[in-house]
Amino acid sequence: MKKAKLNLPKRILVVNLILLIILAGISFLGLACGSTGIDFLALIKIIFKSEINESMLPAIIWQIRLPRVLLAALVGATLSLGGLVFQAILRNPLAEPYILGISGGAAIGAIIGILLGLSRFPGVSLFAFAGSMATLLLILVMASDKTILKKDSLLLSGVMVNAFCSAVIMFLISMTQDSRLHNIIFWLMGDLSVADLGQTFSLAMVLIPCFIIIFYYSNVMNLLLMGQEQARAMGVNIKLVIFILLVITSLMVSSTVSYCGLLGFVGLVMPHLLRIILGPDHRVLVPACILGGGAFMVFCDLLARTLPEQGEMPAGVITALIGAPLFIYLLKRSSR
Amino acid sequence: MSFAVKVNKLNYHYSRLAVLKELSFDIPSGNFFTIIGPNGSGKTTLIKILAGILKPLSGQIDISGQNLKQYNPKNLAKKISYVPQSVEIAFPFTVLEVVLMGRSPHHGILALENQHDLDLAYKAMAFTSVEALAHRKADQLSGGEQQRVIIARAICQEPQIILLDEPTASLDIAHQVKIMDLMEKLKTEKKMTVIMVSHDVNLAAMYADTVLLMNKGQIVKIGPTAKVLTYTILEKIYGCKILVDTTPLGGYPRITPVPAKYQKITDSKPLSI
Amino acid sequence: MNMKLKKTNIILSCFVLLVLLVPLNNISAMEIKDQLNRKIHLPKQIKKIVSLAPSITEIIYALGVEDLLVGVTQYSDYPAAASSLPKVGSYVHLDLERIIALKPDLCIATRDGNPLTTIERLEIMKIPVYAVDPRNLETIIQTILELGRLLKAEKKADFLAANMRSRILKIKNIISCTQHRTRLFFQIGISPIVSAGSPTFINELIELAGGENLARGPAAYPRFSKEKVISLAPEVIIITSMARSTVFEKVKAEWNRWPDLPAVKQQRIYLEDSNLFDRPTPRLVDGLELLAKLLHPELFENIK
Repeated sequence: MKKAKLNLPKRILVVNLILLIILAGISFLGLACGSTGIDFLALIKIIFKSEINESMLPAIIWQIRLPRVLLAALVGATLSLGGLVFQAILRNPLAEPYILGISGGAAIGAIIGILLGLSRFPGVSLFAFAGSMATLLLILVMASDKTILKKDSLLLSGVMVNAFCSAVIMFLISMTQDSRLHNIIFWLMGDLSVADLGQTFSLAMVLIPCFIIIFYYSNVMNLLLMGQEQARAMGVNIKLVIFILLVITSLMVSSTVSYCGLLGFVGLVMPHLLRIILGPDHRVLVPACILGGGAFMVFCDLLARTLPEQGEMPAGVITALIGAPLFIYLLKRSSR
Repeated sequence: MSFAVKVNKLNYHYSRLAVLKELSFDIPSGNFFTIIGPNGSGKTTLIKILAGILKPLSGQIDISGQNLKQYNPKNLAKKISYVPQSVEIAFPFTVLEVVLMGRSPHHGILALENQHDLDLAYKAMAFTSVEALAHRKADQLSGGEQQRVIIARAICQEPQIILLDEPTASLDIAHQVKIMDLMEKLKTEKKMTVIMVSHDVNLAAMYADTVLLMNKGQIVKIGPTAKVLTYTILEKIYGCKILVDTTPLGGYPRITPVPAKYQKITDSKPLSI
Repeated sequence: MNMKLKKTNIILSCFVLLVLLVPLNNISAMEIKDQLNRKIHLPKQIKKIVSLAPSITEIIYALGVEDLLVGVTQYSDYPAAASSLPKVGSYVHLDLERIIALKPDLCIATRDGNPLTTIERLEIMKIPVYAVDPRNLETIIQTILELGRLLKAEKKADFLAANMRSRILKIKNIISCTQHRTRLFFQIGISPIVSAGSPTFINELIELAGGENLARGPAAYPRFSKEKVISLAPEVIIITSMARSTVFEKVKAEWNRWPDLPAVKQQRIYLEDSNLFDRPTPRLVDGLELLAKLLHPELFENIK
């Protein structure tokens, strides 16, 4: 009997090609827009290296906007993918990349770094990374079990650690009165303006192997959604896989957060958004989160820096303002 | 005779509680093997250990002639598939996608399915009568339908041994018999060894080659149906009055627990044939 | 033979002078050190500058070289003319794009507030940044003189410096007439109550103006509970938050509920513009004079 072919490889390719094009398009937008204005024609001319009269624009585009667009894409990809992986490991749709206490530890580390007067890079970033690794270690120790890593104890440990860290953070903030308070708040809201081309490339060197490893496990994540016991019975080495995914994802999210602060909401909403549109197969979702999450973040950052008359809004605000209604709309449409 | 499973002095503890005590038994290949016993006797634990989900405290288990410890999860999954007691699919995979997951142990990293896999999946779905639901979202099906999907997945895995934990618990009577017929078909046509925990003693009686009666983590009796399902043994283990006669269908033992209102009647009659 | 020696001498001295003068010439036009001891490479001509803090904007206007200004940070509100200049973000979160688009020859930054990372990025893009670090009245005057030299406004700078110094001296002399140090609680924040400690400009002003800063101590912006303030029994309370007059009346009414406070008994609770006290600019001397009059009105009755 002839059945319709599932066409999975084709689906993966087509979906992600579309997302890649969207990402490229939005990145182009991102390069053309900035606090000094929006000019598509000039951007095209600059890309093709023809003469333009505004002599500072190439410098602005290549040295300020390009690193920022690249960074936004990386951050959006990382956080979306992180949310996806944690939702699979914990089988919990409320999971997001910060749920296992990474954000709390990173924040405490960063705030200490800022209070010590260190510069954003490498000082504050290193402290933030150390903080997040410390909380991760704490949680792994608290939640480890002899047979299978119990997912509920992982989740609960993460929630407790985050709550504790929040208290410490509030304490540190209340003790600060001078201009360092500004720096702390900007860091906590997420700040993409620090983007530097060299540093962004270094970050990419860490993140891209993580993306690849996670893609390697995308079918395994499908099986994990059936439950740890059933996944084990279908050939998954649960303990090893969960440990690897946990460590790689935490590494990925920590690196990003250490560099740019706590950009919120992307990691929660993007996996759900994409799952509603594309279905729950992680072989499609993993690359989709990378490309789609990246595109979404670039777009939100673009709005964050061009919309306001003065200065810029925190990109995390835009992701929530756009993401939440979009998600609700798609949810309603899919349930009909 | 080759053995699908050989168990020798198996022990398992849960916290400080001994759940399985010095279990030793063998399951021949191609056998329809049912495990029965009161609640808490350790049946589910035993099945999970055989499936590789739980690790025994001590003892040796051989699967198809090889020590269980020497199997990595993937190789074990090629030999054994497992259908858990209660199934809850919470994510919107299609039925076809769920069934195809059973093919994962036979593939590499991304487990991209080919035509062969699709054929197997459709055949398995036909077996459990969920073919019509192939493109429905699995999380929207009823409990019984989901159960049949999981069984289809287990069949699709092409194992030599299939482990089922009370598979008929949430099915209506038509499907209960259907599944048991299916299991028998798997045994006769595909030469699979069927190892099944059953809460329905009568169904077990009509299909099983071997019955293992457990109580409090130990084997009470193991052997052909008629030898194990006697009223003396059953009454002692289940702690209630039981009437054992023969069903006109094939002469299998038929077990009926006696309600209080009939106990006076049975007091004066013999309860076993 | 004498003629020959004379000629050689002249040639030699010219040569020596040239050798000495040429590098001197280069240093003064091309490379200097700012207040943080960083080496700055300046262009030969400075035509466009961006001020990276409101206090620096004020000083530039005071020096009379505001024509050089092409961009300022938000809250550069004094003098009023400054608000119409193009904005380059806030001084704690500078907008790199806008600064670069203005193509300045020089940016002037302050150590307290401007993020180091942004300064470094500006320099990577070949925009020189001159950093100042005024900590007290004397270093503010130094800053004015340095910026005057930098921006070719030495005359105005000298005048400003002299004016500031003489006014400070005058106040010192007046205050020396009394031994009494008025107990002052300088309230910066309303909720929570925050005051200014020893590491602030305000502290220096209070001491010069003949007051006792009740919040003195190592913390720059210590918090106080109401209880604590009451137990310190201030004779004068000055409130300088960005509050409007209605809020001020409420706060004043709050303090008036404690009639035993000396400041309440003598009705010496005042609302003043915070910018006179926390910006390192010439207006700090205005703040000093104001403070002295509030703390020792009796010494100023005779003087106009």
